[in-house]
Amino acid sequence: MQNNTQEFFLISPDETIYLIFDKFLKQKGSLVQFNEGKPAIDRILQTPPAMIILDIKIEDISYLEMIKLIKGENVYLQIPLILCLDKEIPKEIENMSVFDLDIDDFILRPINPKEAKIRLELTACKASKFLDANPLTKLPGNTTIIQKIQKLLDAKRDFALGYVDLDFFKSYNDKYGFSRGDEVLMMTARIIVNTVKEECGAEGFVGHVGGDDYVFIVPVNKAEDVCKKIIKNFDAIIPYFYDPTDKERGYIISKNRQGKIEKFPLMAISIGVVFNINGRLKHYGEASQIAVNLKKIAKKSQKSTYIIDRRRNE
Amino acid sequence: MEDLRTKRKGKILAVKDLPTLPPVLDEITKMIEDEHCTPKQIAEVIAKDQVLSAKVLKMVNSPVYGFPRRITTIQHAIVLLGFNVIRGIIISTSVFDVMSQAMVGLWEHSLGCATISKIIAEELGLKDPEEFAVAGLLHDIGKVVIAIQLPEEKEEIQKLVAKEDITYLEAEKKVLGFGHDRVNSWLADHWNLPLPTKVALTYHHNPESAEFYEKFAKIVHVADFITKVLEIGNSGDELLNTLSKKDFVDIGLSFKKLAKIMDRVLEDIIEVLTFIPK
Ligand SMILES: [Fe+2]
Ligand SMILES: [Fe+2]
Repeated sequence: MQNNTQEFFLISPDETIYLIFDKFLKQKGSLVQFNEGKPAIDRILQTPPAMIILDIKIEDISYLEMIKLIKGENVYLQIPLILCLDKEIPKEIENMSVFDLDIDDFILRPINPKEAKIRLELTACKASKFLDANPLTKLPGNTTIIQKIQKLLDAKRDFALGYVDLDFFKSYNDKYGFSRGDEVLMMTARIIVNTVKEECGAEGFVGHVGGDDYVFIVPVNKAEDVCKKIIKNFDAIIPYFYDPTDKERGYIISKNRQGKIEKFPLMAISIGVVFNINGRLKHYGEASQIAVNLKKIAKKSQKSTYIIDRRRNE
Repeated sequence: MEDLRTKRKGKILAVKDLPTLPPVLDEITKMIEDEHCTPKQIAEVIAKDQVLSAKVLKMVNSPVYGFPRRITTIQHAIVLLGFNVIRGIIISTSVFDVMSQAMVGLWEHSLGCATISKIIAEELGLKDPEEFAVAGLLHDIGKVVIAIQLPEEKEEIQKLVAKEDITYLEAEKKVLGFGHDRVNSWLADHWNLPLPTKVALTYHHNPESAEFYEKFAKIVHVADFITKVLEIGNSGDELLNTLSKKDFVDIGLSFKKLAKIMDRVLEDIIEVLTFIPK
């Protein structure tokens, strides 16, 4: 989504802020001002800008809701967001933990132009340094995944850990090429993210190990529904990622590992889930190993399958 | 003329804000505020509104999500966009300032055509009837965009239709130099809509010109005709095009099947039209 004519969105009814930012953003791209939130949402969703400066003074919609919308979606969360506040910090923010307020930086009114410039540059810089995220899907990568799991294990929290993998992704890639393969990976990410969010809200977590491997963490009692729903949605949508003839006949012809021509079914999704109950598991490696092994068993079937290890104790 | 045409095309593609009818938006806003509402229920309501459907498909097929031109149905779009984004689309949609009679008529016409396209696809035993429903729903979206972006020209078109004995499409061509079918084709490319949908939108008036996915164009063509015959809504036309026997035969419709389709249409359409804002 990088283009040479970068846009910066200023969502604020305040004219003076516009003048300050426009001065030093001129060389970098263009500053677009929205006096209200709603028209900005449409633009952000369609053509994400290089940065968003959001004023708490917008009236037509709550700024907290806007932050939640942008930062809650894997395709938008990498847009740096700077909140513009008054010296008098609003109550709803004061009582919030920094982790819940998902912004990249803030600026206080009256704005000091020199300070604002530095903050903007720093924020843009920090955003591009967030290396752990998967470059394609922007989902958290391995470091974050491991930390997250280990933290839950250490706290002896009950949770379900799922490993997700696509069957016949390689043959699809071989036949259709990498960029079509990436489309499938993006689609799969959206299905997992939305399913987990819908079933578990903020209690869920989704990570992207790399390639066609994903991870999710959900409450134990939600695991089975999440698996079923991911499979249902994936199976319904995946045929549309094939050309009409392949979609129609339900298989593709491609080379196997030995280079021989072979028929391959349409892609399916395999999920292995391990429960951690009553502190049964101690270490990240242990948890992931079990889930990965279950996923391998699930993979033996050509159809989308999930396997759950419900063991409570050894 | 060429210059003016390019200018008008530019104006049409610059469409930023596609407003919809107030009652539809009210209904769906109520739905998204209700926690117990499922994506399927939301999909059902969105699938009744051409503007919201166009917006949702445009969004899910935009390069931002990484799989342009792949998603043809509202259900799939909602699964992939998720509740948050759908909410974002809905709260950022505005309503027509004046709910003009013409827009209500066109809205009914589109919904009628969607329902009938779907029924035909089902009776023909086609795999994804929903895809045909979407194609039928959006088949005249170009008219909506013309009305928003070129309101004066639209008035002129309407006057011309009333004055002379010509179809709406012919009047559009006289006034603008192109018809809503061309506009549809531009929009489909601009919004990255999938090819089958694009073909239906582009060739619903002359399905024989479609090079591939012609089934989509042909079914919507027939459905458009039936919608007009039954006077469901108003597409802006006073005249009725003729439909040849070939049009029916081409998509594999026997008279027996057609009779069955008409029965179902009359049955379903009552239910569909109870949703119509009055
Ligand atoms: Fe038409
Ligand atoms: Fe029509």
